[in-house]
Order: sequence, then structure tokens, then C-alpha cells
Amino acid sequence: MDPIFDPIAIEQWATDVGIFGMMNTKWGWPIAEIIHFYGLCLLIGAVGMFDLRMMGVARGVTMKELHRLVPFGIAGYLMCATTGFLFVVTAPGQYIYNPAMQMKIMLMAIAGANMAMFYATASAGVNAAGADEAPPVRARVIGAVSLSCWLLVIVFGRLVTFFRPPEYWCLWCAPG
Amino acid sequence: MDPIFASIEQTPFSIWMREDLYAYFIALIFHSIGMALLIGGGIVVSLRAIGVAGATRFDKFRGFFPVMWVGVVMAIVSGIALLIGYPAKALTNPVFALKFACLIGAAFLVRAMARRLFPLAEQGMALPTWGRSLGVAALVLWLSGVAAGKLLLHTYTILLVS
Repeated sequence: MDPIFDPIAIEQWATDVGIFGMMNTKWGWPIAEIIHFYGLCLLIGAVGMFDLRMMGVARGVTMKELHRLVPFGIAGYLMCATTGFLFVVTAPGQYIYNPAMQMKIMLMAIAGANMAMFYATASAGVNAAGADEAPPVRARVIGAVSLSCWLLVIVFGRLVTFFRPPEYWCLWCAPG
Repeated sequence: MDPIFASIEQTPFSIWMREDLYAYFIALIFHSIGMALLIGGGIVVSLRAIGVAGATRFDKFRGFFPVMWVGVVMAIVSGIALLIGYPAKALTNPVFALKFACLIGAAFLVRAMARRLFPLAEQGMALPTWGRSLGVAALVLWLSGVAAGKLLLHTYTILLVS
């Protein structure tokens, strides 16, 4: 018994507000998928390349300047989050208890915490660094963690269809 | 062409790609990461050509090219494996050709930027206005390639094997 999520109620809500109907039109799901992947491209293009720069790739590009791309990454994240929400509420049984989806959400949370760590501890040093300077060690580690998380988000996103039900993972559910 | 596709689909590698529990998904994962690195790098270079992060010299973005090359190799190798699994499904779908045209076009535009705009940036000259148009065109082609790739699953009409 799941004390948190009720897939039937979620799907009913999606039906009531029109999301289910929209997503089940001929092009609803494919268009949402395309927007989801645009979001991922923007994320990897902006945040991923900034992570690579923090890891020491593309010396000569100032990290402060590259940081100007981050709003594109945030836009990408919002595109992914919005379309991801549409996928989940349209077919909650396919996603909520799917181990790949749970790993994907966990990795996104780690990436978020890592980003908070960046702004709390490394942002000032990175912005002050010159174009050809080696990034601080802390920034390199944060960049590596961030890039790994986002690439693994792609991996587990791909694996969602591999673990389609009858796989049933629910660590928060009461036994029986 | 169908007999050729059918014969490819009967090769041991093609059968393995379709029937092994992991083969197709592993190829799909490598393809996704390869495309992410290629298009992610491509988007950054295109955005810089448009004028974003304009205080950094454009030619310095050459540093992202090795990452894009890693992405190209991963995407091509895994893409060939995926294609051998379902050649008829992919090669009879015009959207597949559109995906290739967009990605190859975008790659050529980035090459044109490297050949014609990077030398100007190295000399400290301002980028010409057509450089910005090149960036916009490349960005549109990268995103169109992604859209075409996602539409493959929804637009194929011939499936000889399942």
C-alpha cells in the first residue's frame, strides 16, 4: 500500500484537467518528448559545458563568461520538469514505481544539492579566475559531480522503458 | 531495397541487437550520451556566434571541439549498431534522412565558423553580422535534428522484424 501516491487518483486528476486527453492525441506525447529533449540539450549545452570548463576543458574561455549560459540551462531544466510532469501524471503507473525513474529523480536531487554547494562555496572563486587559470580543486570536483549526474539522468531516462511495469519498486510503501 | 534490409536483419549481429536483453538499450544509452555531448557543444558554439558570452574570444571555444568529437564517435558507432538492428524501420523513413541532413548541416556550419570566424576572432576583429546568422542557422539545425530523432519512433511505416 502506497501511503504517498495514488496512481489512479493522479491519472483521474490528469483526465479532469485535460492533460491526459492532450497527451493522448496523435502528436501530444511526441511533441512533449521533443520539448523534453530540447530541455536536455540546453541543460547539457549550458550547464554541462560549464561543468566541463570547471573540470579544466576549454581553457581560455572565462568561467565567468560561460556562466552567462546558465539561464539557458535553467530554461532547459524547466522544459524538462514541465514535460516530465506531463508524462508522469498521464501514465503514473509507468513511472512512479519504476526503478530507473526513481534513480533519475534522485540524481536530479543530487545535482541540485551540488549546484547549491557550488553557489555557496565555489562560485566566487570561479568568477574571479582568469581565462587560462586552472579552476580551483573544489570547482573541479563540483563540475565532475554535476556532469556525471546529468549524464546519468540521461542514462536512467533511457532505462525508464527498460523497467516498464511489471517492475515495481516502492521503498516507501508499507509491506503487503 | 526490402530484400537487402531483410538480409541485414537476418545477420547474427542484427538478431543479437534485437533479441539480447541489454544490447539495444546499451547502444541507445551510448547514442544519447554521444548526441548530448555533440549537440550540447554545438549549442554552446552556436550561442556564442549569436552573441551570448560575447566577452570571451570566439576561437577559445575550439576547446569544446574534442568533447564534440567524442560525442560524434559515440553517436556514430552506437547509431550504426541501432541501425543494423532495424535497418528497414529507419532507412525507409524520410524523417531519418531529415535527421541526418540537419545534423550534418549543423556540423558543417560549425566547421565554417571555425574556418572563417575563428581567424577573425584571433586577430581581435569583431564578428561580421553573417556570423550571427550562421549561429542562428546552426542552432535551428541542431534542434531540428533532435526533433527529427525523437519523431523516428512515431513516424516509421515499415517494420520487417519486431
